[in-house]
Amino acid sequence: MEELDILKKAWQKEEHSFQQVTEVEIYKMLHKKSSSIVKWILIISILEVLLWTTISIFFNTDDYLKEMHSEDLIIYFKVLNYINYAVIIGFIYLFYKNYIKISTTESTKNLMKNILRTRRTVQYYVWYNLGMITIIMILGFVLAFYYNPEMHLLKDKIAHENGNKTLLITCGIMLLSTIVFVSVFWLFYRLLYGILLRKLNSNYKKLKKIDS
Amino acid sequence: MSENIEQLFVKQLKENQNIIHKICRLYTSDEDAHKDLFQEVTIQLWKAFPKFRGESKFSTWAYRVALNTAITLYRKSTRSIATSSFDTNNYFIKQEDYNYEEEEQIKLMYQAVHQLNDIEKALVFMYLEDKDYTEIAETLGISEVNARVKMSRIKGKLKKILNP
Repeated sequence: MEELDILKKAWQKEEHSFQQVTEVEIYKMLHKKSSSIVKWILIISILEVLLWTTISIFFNTDDYLKEMHSEDLIIYFKVLNYINYAVIIGFIYLFYKNYIKISTTESTKNLMKNILRTRRTVQYYVWYNLGMITIIMILGFVLAFYYNPEMHLLKDKIAHENGNKTLLITCGIMLLSTIVFVSVFWLFYRLLYGILLRKLNSNYKKLKKIDS
Repeated sequence: MSENIEQLFVKQLKENQNIIHKICRLYTSDEDAHKDLFQEVTIQLWKAFPKFRGESKFSTWAYRVALNTAITLYRKSTRSIATSSFDTNNYFIKQEDYNYEEEEQIKLMYQAVHQLNDIEKALVFMYLEDKDYTEIAETLGISEVNARVKMSRIKGKLKKILNP
């Protein structure tokens, strides 16, 4: 008898030897893909916070404010900073909750609901960050304008010779740099979370297709 | 509605899971890899499920998708497969069905099959499943003659591995 036919004989009996997978286990397998995407969203958001914290250690705003003789403002910046961290930690907690929910969901309906919720959380998170960056930029410009000693020349110019034009140009430059800066961040977020959200979205669409 | 389709899929998969286990048995050599492949196949089946219209039996459709998954997956990681150890002890085989000598022989057979490449394993699987050459050829997208030639080569190869 050929070798393979010996195996064939045993092959038919093998049926009973496999450890059977239960229905619940199959459900879990089906939902694993979404949960791994959401896990990445969680990891990236944590890495991002770590990155910003490291950057803020290297660029100490306190020193800058001291230089500009505006120590009285430091407290406001500190408060703003703490609020910012509190909000971001809140978001990370939400991401974590979404992750736990998605990885334990056992029905398509709930999974779809959770995917939508995660999407919304990410969108709020991105909008919050962009808003915060805009506020900080504008604050920075206003501070620089009022407190930075190097700005005296500019202020003199506005006060004496064709003031309106210089003021307009100054504001224009500030506005433009704010827009460019925020756009760069917007692009960064789109790349970072956009890819993950698109994957999540396609998962959602697939589920919906089956749903209809 | 979605609940129903999902339930239907899960139910059918549960009932037909042995065919997938068998494929995992040929393509993997330890329990963890077996589970990973089973999971990957399950995801691929679920993705393809909307296209499954019941023209063939669920089991036939499932084994084809599973073979394709296994072939693609193991083509990507041939290197790691080549170096993996052949540990067949992890598989629970009912003692009363085999005497030890036969069991040893079967174990060796599996070890030999594990040394074949991804396509050859697919052929072995279909041979063991008693599929005819028309179906084998169709599934692998090769001609019937080619399938026969490949099969006889595999038999030769196995003989060589087992009787060096």
